[in-house]
Amino acid sequence: MSDHHPTRPGGSEPHAFLAHHFNTPGQQAGAAKLGMWAFLATEVLMFSGLFLAYFIIRMQYPEMVLGAHEYLNKTAGGINTVVLITSSVTMALAVRSAQVGDTPAIKRYLLMTIGFAFVFMVVKYFEYSAKIEHGMLPGKFYSAHEHGYDIPGLPHIFFAIYFCMTGLHGIHVLVGIGVLTWVYLRANKGHFGPSYYTPVENVGLYWHLVDLIWIFLFPLLYLVK
Amino acid sequence: MASEEKKEREPNFMQAHRGLNSWLYTLDHKRLGLLYLGTTMLFFLVGGIAAITLRTELLTPEGDLVSATTYNKLFTVHGAVMVFLVIIPSVPGALGNFLLPLMLGAKDVAFPRLNLLSYYIYSLGALFFIVTLFTGGLDTGWTFYTPYSTTTGTAVVTATAGAFILGFSSILTGLNFMVTIHKMRAPGMTWNRMPLFVWAIYATAVIQVLATPVLAITLLLLIVERTLGIGIFDPAMGGDPVLFQHFFWFYSHPAVYIMILPGFGIISELIAVHSRKHIFGYKAIALSSVAIAIISFLVWGHHMFVSGQSELAGIVFSFLTFAVAVPTAIKVFSWVATLYKGSIEFNTPMLYGLMFLFTFTIGGLTGVFLGTLSVDVHLHDTYFVVAHFHYVMMGGTIIAFIGGLHHWWPKMTGKMYDEGKAKWGALLVFIGFNMTFFNQFVMGQQGMPRRYYEYVPQYTQQHVLSTVGSYILTAGLFWTLIYLLQSLKDGKQASDNPWGGASLEWQTQSPPIEHNFHGQPVVDTDPYNFPEIDRSGAMDEH
Amino acid sequence: MSDKLFLHGKPIEGFEEVHEHISPVSSYMKVFGALLVLTALTYAVSYMNLGAASLAVAMFVAVIKATLVCMYFMHLKYDERYHVFVFLSTILFVGIFFTFTLFDLSSRDEINEEQDSFFQRQYAPEAGVSVPVYEVSEHGEGAEHAEGGEAKAEGH
Repeated sequence: MSDHHPTRPGGSEPHAFLAHHFNTPGQQAGAAKLGMWAFLATEVLMFSGLFLAYFIIRMQYPEMVLGAHEYLNKTAGGINTVVLITSSVTMALAVRSAQVGDTPAIKRYLLMTIGFAFVFMVVKYFEYSAKIEHGMLPGKFYSAHEHGYDIPGLPHIFFAIYFCMTGLHGIHVLVGIGVLTWVYLRANKGHFGPSYYTPVENVGLYWHLVDLIWIFLFPLLYLVK
Repeated sequence: MASEEKKEREPNFMQAHRGLNSWLYTLDHKRLGLLYLGTTMLFFLVGGIAAITLRTELLTPEGDLVSATTYNKLFTVHGAVMVFLVIIPSVPGALGNFLLPLMLGAKDVAFPRLNLLSYYIYSLGALFFIVTLFTGGLDTGWTFYTPYSTTTGTAVVTATAGAFILGFSSILTGLNFMVTIHKMRAPGMTWNRMPLFVWAIYATAVIQVLATPVLAITLLLLIVERTLGIGIFDPAMGGDPVLFQHFFWFYSHPAVYIMILPGFGIISELIAVHSRKHIFGYKAIALSSVAIAIISFLVWGHHMFVSGQSELAGIVFSFLTFAVAVPTAIKVFSWVATLYKGSIEFNTPMLYGLMFLFTFTIGGLTGVFLGTLSVDVHLHDTYFVVAHFHYVMMGGTIIAFIGGLHHWWPKMTGKMYDEGKAKWGALLVFIGFNMTFFNQFVMGQQGMPRRYYEYVPQYTQQHVLSTVGSYILTAGLFWTLIYLLQSLKDGKQASDNPWGGASLEWQTQSPPIEHNFHGQPVVDTDPYNFPEIDRSGAMDEH
Repeated sequence: MSDKLFLHGKPIEGFEEVHEHISPVSSYMKVFGALLVLTALTYAVSYMNLGAASLAVAMFVAVIKATLVCMYFMHLKYDERYHVFVFLSTILFVGIFFTFTLFDLSSRDEINEEQDSFFQRQYAPEAGVSVPVYEVSEHGEGAEHAEGGEAKAEGH
């Protein structure tokens, strides 16, 4: 346990959401948070498989990857990076509002976070439609050469890993929108305050992880030479 | 150890609520443990039927009972069902769920809803496997190796989707147990006062959380490879099939420790309680579980010695593989040292414990043969591997599981089984098991390849011996099932602590009440300080 | 069960408690600023020709950004040490996964070069062995386009 100055022992005041099998709210909050961190560990390891596949493809087909990645929209990727980082800040502020017990601020910041998540998906939608239109599709559906793009090597592999990585990340954003909405609805009912804000905090951790993965995806897929 | 000594009987957890829904929506870890027990045993039967059919086919050198394709499908069903639906969930799902909160002095696991969800995810994954069975089966073996799995016409997608879903069940169970062990221990229960079964479950949970996500992404990529032809694993599309093996074994090697570590935990309990002696080397056994969990992530390449992996990598993996033997041997030596001068009771749980020591040691040592790069080139894909794997999985995990089931049967059901019948069952299982698999080492070493549905006549005698052994084993298992079920009906009422165990689960009534304990138990000693020694002066050092 | 628990006559302290930390808004804003600057930096660097170093630079910046997010947004700096341990050990196991697999894949071609086999050719698709992916039919599950010597890859 840390001894930082602005800390105070949590879980001293009982709240309405204490499950029967926990002795104290502190035990419940600690369990939920440790569980969330273990869950984040599984997420990191799951994505690590895709990252490893990316690095191997890069190692085996360096020219092809460099050639194909030029067709990704750097600006769209950059905008999405800023959008996700901003949403991460609003999420962190939502958790802070819960800690200080400011329910209107929780709701405001959660709405902003959900909004940014939607912006991210909209940008993604335009990116994906452009790729589909140009036939830059994964695997055997790849047909960019029919649309006049002659990318040397085996670009169907690059677009496969591109769609796998951004697709799985996109699914996580969609799930994020879902759980953020759930937390918003609970905040709307006034469930959260300084003595109980575990769901806000855990959804926040999840959302930061989605941001974290994008922080690595963006330079690897869009930028790296 | 228990803080309160209330003696009036409260309704136990099975009597507390009635009706089907009280089971289907239960959040009680004990009921979920029993649900897992029932379901895994059902699939044990399915996998077993496949195994018996395989063995029957192998009675004669010609393929006369089933066709080659059916044979391939049968060994795949046997492997996939036994690994994903039986061994992985059996000990953590059934015994772990039932016992973990009891041993920790908690009212339930940390996330009871997640626990229920995990059971339903498991059932959904099992459903996918059943769908696979009825939509053409699967003939890739349980390992789904590419490029065969991307080209075969069988139901790879539903099977991999099933394994993917089962992976999530396993992750959620592991996560739940890990948090439970961290956060739900009774006051005074320090890490060094936890029963060794809990330590084993903890190490298992760590592997489940760290390794299973990689299986998830591997199977996802395989599904995508098969449906979209993305070119990551499929050489025809520019991919690398050996990469699939890396991905797969990064999970599946640690996964064999997901399967065996809980078995180690059970054996630690059985041996200590039934020799009525403080476990030898508590910390060594506890930490060697964690060491095995960590080392298990460093050795996966020993499954790939002849796959086209680089030889340098093969040498490194072979060397690291030997490291696994060290913590494993520490455990075996500690168990043997516990037995030394103990007042050993040769009852059924102890018989299974001793059986484990025998069979698992054979399985473990032959693993060292296979981990040796040069030897493995000869033994790879022969019956030697089959025998090794079954000595570890069946002779290790399943034997430990059956032993654990007998040990905790009075606690789980409140009934005593017939000790005489149980001993006969143990004898049949022991003879049948060794008869089936021991000579497979010899056969494999002589060059009999695995997964063949017909074979050269020189192996006929050994195959017949093996098949007869498998029938005896089956008889033993059915015998066990029958007397256990019989005990539910007319078994003697079990006392709260029939074996004189000192861990917390024996301090509550049998079967436990809905919230496990009357009040909050407090712990001030470790779980192997057995209160009274019944007889003989052999134990005077305590 | 809100009353205190006792063991050997002493109350058990520190049991089942969590400590929380409330950061000021300004610290979030500082981190936000730093993240934006670093994003701009990555973006700018990608237009310079750093060659092989560009991956290292990009990853270095990404790691700094990730560290900032973990420490301040995810509160790891103030959190229980065990959560830091969980997170770092996750990274360690990802490292194990990457190291061994990449080690095999990068040392494999030495032996293949000696044997003049498959992997060598993957590095030079223009040498007439490029996989004819453009002719892949959609029904075939990849069976019929195993031409160009690629079928050899299946037999080890």
